Amino acid sequence: MNIPFCYLTLESVKVEYTPDAEFYKIEAIVRPWRVHHVSSGLLQMGIRGVTVSDVRGFGAQGGSTERHGGSEFSEDKFIAKVKMEIVVCKDQVEAVVEKIIEEARTGEIGDGKIFLIPVSDVIRVRTGERGEKAERMSGGRADMMSLTASID
Amino acid sequence: MVVAQTTTTPLCGRLPFRSLHKDDFNPNPSFLPARSTPPSSLAAAASITTVPASSLPAVQTPAQARVDILSESLPFIQRFRGKTIVVKYGGAAMKSAALQSSVINDLVLLSCVGLRPVLVHGGGPEINSWLLRLGHEPQFHNGLRVTDALTMEVVEMVLVGKVNKSLVSLINSAGGTAVGLCGKDARLLTARPTPDAAALGFVGEVARVDPGILRPILADGHIPVIASVAADENGQSYNVNADTAAGEIAAAMGAEKLILLTDVAGILEDRNDPDSLVKEIDISGIRKMVMEKKVAGGMIPKVNCCVRSLAQGVRTASIIDGRVPHSLLLEILTDEGAGTMITG
Repeated sequence: MNIPFCYLTLESVKVEYTPDAEFYKIEAIVRPWRVHHVSSGLLQMGIRGVTVSDVRGFGAQGGSTERHGGSEFSEDKFIAKVKMEIVVCKDQVEAVVEKIIEEARTGEIGDGKIFLIPVSDVIRVRTGERGEKAERMSGGRADMMSLTASID
Repeated sequence: MVVAQTTTTPLCGRLPFRSLHKDDFNPNPSFLPARSTPPSSLAAAASITTVPASSLPAVQTPAQARVDILSESLPFIQRFRGKTIVVKYGGAAMKSAALQSSVINDLVLLSCVGLRPVLVHGGGPEINSWLLRLGHEPQFHNGLRVTDALTMEVVEMVLVGKVNKSLVSLINSAGGTAVGLCGKDARLLTARPTPDAAALGFVGEVARVDPGILRPILADGHIPVIASVAADENGQSYNVNADTAAGEIAAAMGAEKLILLTDVAGILEDRNDPDSLVKEIDISGIRKMVMEKKVAGGMIPKVNCCVRSLAQGVRTASIIDGRVPHSLLLEILTDEGAGTMITG
């Protein structure tokens, strides 16, 4: 119901990412206890490759404080977050970003940020495959999409 | 109703219940099983099962029903054993003696089976009556108490000195051991003035929570009872809203559940239809309901407090009907619950 404005414009304008690349890394900084929600949401949509790391950060917008563990934290205090890194094909990026926002959002200050970084190549260590073959996971989103035979 | 007489230690091998047929401490002989010498484990089991079935005190539930109920509550007990549950106590549940004793007994029971309940309380009606006795008219602004210097003194005396200690004493009589605290003790809560301080006076927002003192209390099997009065960095007392205090303490302790006892059945999908109780909803769903004006004005601060708590990692926040006897047990140990549960 509450569709963010940026998604409304996506319907009408095809988004051009610059610099253009085949793959994008989606770096999402989210609250630690939301990681489970996000990863199960991603699995449900067929995204099967995620890396997480424990990080600390601050990023409050001027004046407002973030609440963490009952206490208020102002600008220069680091708060524990988790960084999730997911590399997908360009056409899956928007769906993944929407899903992350849906699962991680609480509406309170400190929900986090998502960064998109172009990736020039993906290589699978076990087989040496490069490019689209390496990015594709069996049983993952690309297989799910071709099963339903609809272009998303 | 049978309660524990010995000290409550966190889930030891033997449940600390005395045998049922010591008549001197059993106030309700109708709950005694017909047999004269039940084995101690069954006595313990029966004494736990009488609690959820005690809505009709005159009826003696058959022993089979009692042990069935008991074994049904096992998965819930296992799920929540060792977890912290913050209960905010207020409203009708605090005014009626019968409801008060049911809440107290529920807390002691939860403590006995190994959960870690923390009680946070307000005390609006008591404060009002003492202010009137002193010839001072209680004033409210947007639902919050206007707290000038005299009101702050009275609030502190009544909440910390009277209400807190009487709850501690009731828990002790019921067989638990309670420790009464306020936000000032061990700097549990540090307050700062609300942005609205010009109109409200010494009403405080929670700036910091230091839950350190609660860990040894809970580890030793005691029940902390917390009055929502706090001080700022300079020692000035502030009156903190008890719902807010409960929510922030739950966030600080990494609590499993936050439970707010209220005087309504919960959050209704349709305000005019009492059967449309929303049993379970997530954060985005409840925000949508607030936006659609489905949530009544007095409920909004409670909902906001729940969402704030959930955003900080509390697993679930529930708004339950404190007018129902044993609402706490219904919420924690059954699937049906006793109100609305908001999940993360």
